[in-house]
Amino acid sequence: MNDMSKDKNIDIQIYNFAYLDENTKRMIRRALLKALCIPGYQVPFSSREMPMPYGWGTGGIQVTSACLIPKDVLKVIDQGADDTTNAVSIRKFFQKTANVAVTEKTSDASLIQTRHRIPETKLKEQQILVYQVPIPEPLRFLEPRETETRKMHALSEYGLMFVKLYEDIAKHGHIETAYAYPVKTNGNYVTDPSPIPKFDNPKMNNNPAIQLFGAGREQRIYAIPPYTNVKSLDFEDYPFEAMKANFKCSICGSSDSYLDEIIVSDDGKRSYICSDTDYCKEQTQLNSKEEDQ
Amino acid sequence: MMQDFLFKASNISKYYGQNVGCKNVSLDINSGEVLGIVGESGSGKSTLLNCIYGNLKVDEGDILLNDKSKTILNFTKIDEPKLRLIQRSDLAFVHQNPRDGLRMNISAGGNIGERLMAIGHRNYGEIREIASSWLEKVEIDVSRIDDKPSTFSGGMQQRLQIARNLVTKPRLIFMDEPTGGLDVSVQAKILDLLRNLVRELGIAAIIVTHDLGVVRLLADRIIVMQNGNVIEAGLCDQVLDDPQHKYSQLLVSSVLQV
Repeated sequence: MNDMSKDKNIDIQIYNFAYLDENTKRMIRRALLKALCIPGYQVPFSSREMPMPYGWGTGGIQVTSACLIPKDVLKVIDQGADDTTNAVSIRKFFQKTANVAVTEKTSDASLIQTRHRIPETKLKEQQILVYQVPIPEPLRFLEPRETETRKMHALSEYGLMFVKLYEDIAKHGHIETAYAYPVKTNGNYVTDPSPIPKFDNPKMNNNPAIQLFGAGREQRIYAIPPYTNVKSLDFEDYPFEAMKANFKCSICGSSDSYLDEIIVSDDGKRSYICSDTDYCKEQTQLNSKEEDQ
Repeated sequence: MMQDFLFKASNISKYYGQNVGCKNVSLDINSGEVLGIVGESGSGKSTLLNCIYGNLKVDEGDILLNDKSKTILNFTKIDEPKLRLIQRSDLAFVHQNPRDGLRMNISAGGNIGERLMAIGHRNYGEIREIASSWLEKVEIDVSRIDDKPSTFSGGMQQRLQIARNLVTKPRLIFMDEPTGGLDVSVQAKILDLLRNLVRELGIAAIIVTHDLGVVRLLADRIIVMQNGNVIEAGLCDQVLDDPQHKYSQLLVSSVLQV
């Protein structure tokens, strides 16, 4: 008969550390190393079936799984928030399969998996930021042939990327692309920054943290090493602009963090709050401290 | 001088397995000259055109281009990035079907601007200005600059394709049946436009067609092809007025007189 203590260990025994088996993790690490050596280059990898649907961050989870070590402190965010379904379930997944410590504080985390945001708090050396990527190929909707896009990357033929920006200006009078805004990594490969708002684009540039990108369905991994030049594409007469809603957070009052728009009543009243919940909490605490003094 | 030619292809052969695409074809062209390639369907005209443009790998032969800096480039020897750059800057290719040569879901201005952006233009205002001036040149109303080519008529699409190709001021333009599939009045208009542009800009052109009227109007010299071989070559008027080869005679005599 099993006693209680054995039952408790079942979770850890039936899963290898961080869910994936060691050989798979090694395969992913190889892809990651290659990706770090060629910043912005999309490395194909043999993506595994994960116990959740594509679109839930299977690429990011595999990268996180390959990077995790037992003493890591994990933070998971979805659209900046720690408490949304996607973030909660992925965090629980790694608590269960890797038994690592978790946190909501950006500065305490050693590995942050993110969907669609870069935390407002500045990242530091020794931190890893893992992005979940739906479509890794920035040229995908401009040129459907994969053989052709690969060639375009190889030969740095990026005229077409500018056609997209041209079309934006012709149609809207300014560059309308607001998320997944294409960047040039290390002056070489044009890279899709995953669907982060373009407000976050400047944070990618010269960032001390390691930025890793995993696309599960598309089976691609790419990376931006620490302190790499990342430039958002633009025209001379229509320079890149990081933009956000021109309001203050109605919880913490911050005017320089990225805001979510929320409809708060049936007649369409709006409110704006920080999308980064950790940052918002921090600001609120700072404010109340100031009030106390 | 020996290096006066603009473009020279010598002994080009292309095989599709057992079948001959084209065999031992040589041609040369000087700047500002228009060369017509005529022949029946399946005679290897398009294969030859794609070979000398660099789209198809040739099995034998050399293709030489005297580039802007007077260096001779051999298409069969240079590497792909260089070839693609040359194709974008010095050469142009007008397809028979504008759908092959245009991006149908991108505005007319974007279509013209693409080649400019591909060679490094990064100023929106400038690109737009150049695009407008080219729309004017090919007689498309400038107010349609933001419309998609899918809303254009066949003739307009073909004119847009021509503008898109000429915008980077190529020195040699390859055309594969540029007026095929258009009704005669529109054909006449496009031919007129092409003739003016080619003369005005001093661009050399190689035109593949089965329409002798087109070569009569545009070409200085022609070559006649059959079964992948060149069977007759010479000045346009000479070949059309006094064809020597049996097949050329047949070709000329089968033109319908109105």
